[in-house]
Amino acid sequence: MAKFQGKASIGRQGRRDFLKKSAGAALTGAFATFGILRKSSAAEPVNIGGLYPVTGSFAQIGQGCVNAAKLAVQMVNNAGGIKSLGGAKLNLIISDVQSDPTVTRTETDRLISGYKLSAIHGCFASALTLIASEVAERAKVPLLTGSSTDQLNKDRHYTFTPFARASQFALAQLQMAKLVSDKPKVAVIFENTAFGTSTSNGLREQAPGEGVEIVMFEPYSAGLTDASPLINKVKASGANMLFPVSYLNDLILIIRAIKQVDLKIAINGGSGGFVIPDFYKNVGGLAEGLLGVAHWNHDIDADAQKVNAAYQKQYGEFLFEYAGGLVAQTFMIADALERAASTDPQKVRDAIASLDVSKGYAAMCPGGKVKFGPDGKNIYAHPVGVQWQRGDLATVFPKEEARAALLKI
Amino acid sequence: MLETLAQAVVNGLLIGGIYALVSIGVTLIFGVVKIVNFAQGEFVMIGMYISFFLATRFGIDPLLSLFISMPVLFVVGVLLQHFLIRRVLALGDMPQIFLTFALSLLLVNVALLLFTADYRTVETSYSETAIHLGGIYVPVAKLIAFVVAMALSGTLWVFLHSTDLGKAMRAAAQNRDVAMLMGINPDRVFCVAVGVALALAGAAGSLLMPFYPAYPMVGQVFVLMAFVAVVLGTLGNVTGALIASLMMGVAESLGIQFVGADSGLIVVFLMLLLTLALRPSGLFGGWTR
Repeated sequence: MAKFQGKASIGRQGRRDFLKKSAGAALTGAFATFGILRKSSAAEPVNIGGLYPVTGSFAQIGQGCVNAAKLAVQMVNNAGGIKSLGGAKLNLIISDVQSDPTVTRTETDRLISGYKLSAIHGCFASALTLIASEVAERAKVPLLTGSSTDQLNKDRHYTFTPFARASQFALAQLQMAKLVSDKPKVAVIFENTAFGTSTSNGLREQAPGEGVEIVMFEPYSAGLTDASPLINKVKASGANMLFPVSYLNDLILIIRAIKQVDLKIAINGGSGGFVIPDFYKNVGGLAEGLLGVAHWNHDIDADAQKVNAAYQKQYGEFLFEYAGGLVAQTFMIADALERAASTDPQKVRDAIASLDVSKGYAAMCPGGKVKFGPDGKNIYAHPVGVQWQRGDLATVFPKEEARAALLKI
Repeated sequence: MLETLAQAVVNGLLIGGIYALVSIGVTLIFGVVKIVNFAQGEFVMIGMYISFFLATRFGIDPLLSLFISMPVLFVVGVLLQHFLIRRVLALGDMPQIFLTFALSLLLVNVALLLFTADYRTVETSYSETAIHLGGIYVPVAKLIAFVVAMALSGTLWVFLHSTDLGKAMRAAAQNRDVAMLMGINPDRVFCVAVGVALALAGAAGSLLMPFYPAYPMVGQVFVLMAFVAVVLGTLGNVTGALIASLMMGVAESLGIQFVGADSGLIVVFLMLLLTLALRPSGLFGGWTR
């Protein structure tokens, strides 16, 4: 078993180093555990779990989440820890769930039984989070997540979702089409996977209600060798806006192919791979002016900007939606621990359920307020529309939360 | 309509050129050494990373790095044949399959370790430019890749047909035992065949780099098409693999355009199925090699 233990303050590890260790462990079939132990303090530390894929296909986003999770714990501990527990420090137990549902199940189980967790956050990817949430429900340990699938709000009592749901994303994306044109004619191209199909169906169902005409609705095989034929088709459809529902590698090809055929079309790439720093690194200037939707953005309030500055200093890129959101989640857990004055997961769960904040890092969400309904949904949650501007993501929608003017292209 | 059709055909031909470089390598190794190289795609990946690092560290244009990736992979191929493949040749199919399949897994995982799963792209001055011919767009990076791929295929054809070594390779491909009886040194011929095949994979990698992102699993995207082309064009037939690759590129593009964007591969596999039903030994089974 590969184990990395150290103080939270030295939790800054090179990404390559980290991957080398974790991939090495994965190769030998061992599970990688990265626990961060507090050195010495009067009070017993509080164990919280962080489940993120840092190897496998979701690794890009997962690695950023781990970095942010460490930063968040450091912030809570530096501010004096949990005062009602005698200044107890948070002890973050991170596990690599390897982008694999089976590993996610066993790792969630192992972490809960092995470390007496008070709460968990993770895994960002819906397919993995659904499984981690099942395990946490059975073990009666509260789980907070930035994952957007609506399924997480069905028949669950220990799962809490502070951010916008998938159904809200589609609506926001359609409403944003009006920013570009009074008569939006949209082409939807989506990869023929569960993610692509469900997202695109959400768009199609809600389009008529928002006055958006869908002129092309086309699935494609994920893992394109060449996007030109697809873009050739988009061009022929006469659309003035394109919604690609794709992961990063296909997106890169799509964006480049559009440029090659000189197609003037507004693009809204939704969320996920479209709103992470890696996207800009790969398409560069072509990203300029492209629109997206996010459940969190680093410019939404002064607290977010502060955390973003700290993260940027340490990791050299901006704090993206999942990473920023889970800093807020860590503070929600800290707030609950403070009020519960106990590390018992049941009491922590009840304290999360009665959370009601409108300031501080725990409220660092679009809308600035968190209060969970009976289904575990934050009743104030909604997504924001973002636009790539000079290599950065700026919030441009809804109007009352816009932090930058829309860049017309 | 006609314009759309022409554009679809152009798109198909251009990507078909890349399929050809990969599939010619596979078919060459199969024809001469009689072994299926499941790791061929991973050598394309290595070619891409060579070009990527030469471009980002030394500012060398990905197309020029062809002159480095090809010789490097040629040497890798010779070593691969000499130290690994040679040892399993007498052992039958299973050890051969395990060898190249294990090599594929190994290379993907080593790449994950060294380079992480990140996508890497190289921005060149011609990455997003296109030539406009009437209403048809021909992306420059893909056009260059196609022309170079065809030139390399042509060179290989000349090599196979007019040099002693090339003729020896064809002889070994047609009938290994008789070729050996005629005094052809199989070790040498096999080393060159695998070396040339890997050099082609390296060329494919360098040619892809200006318009396709590199990542550890990228080889698998192209190797599937390559295997179909190899079977379609008759196993071991270099010209067949070339023509089949171009046909598949066009079929895929037309399928996407006129059937559905998720039907490109369906059209390709339908073509494979029909061919296997009507001409079990592939489209060029009856032709001379």
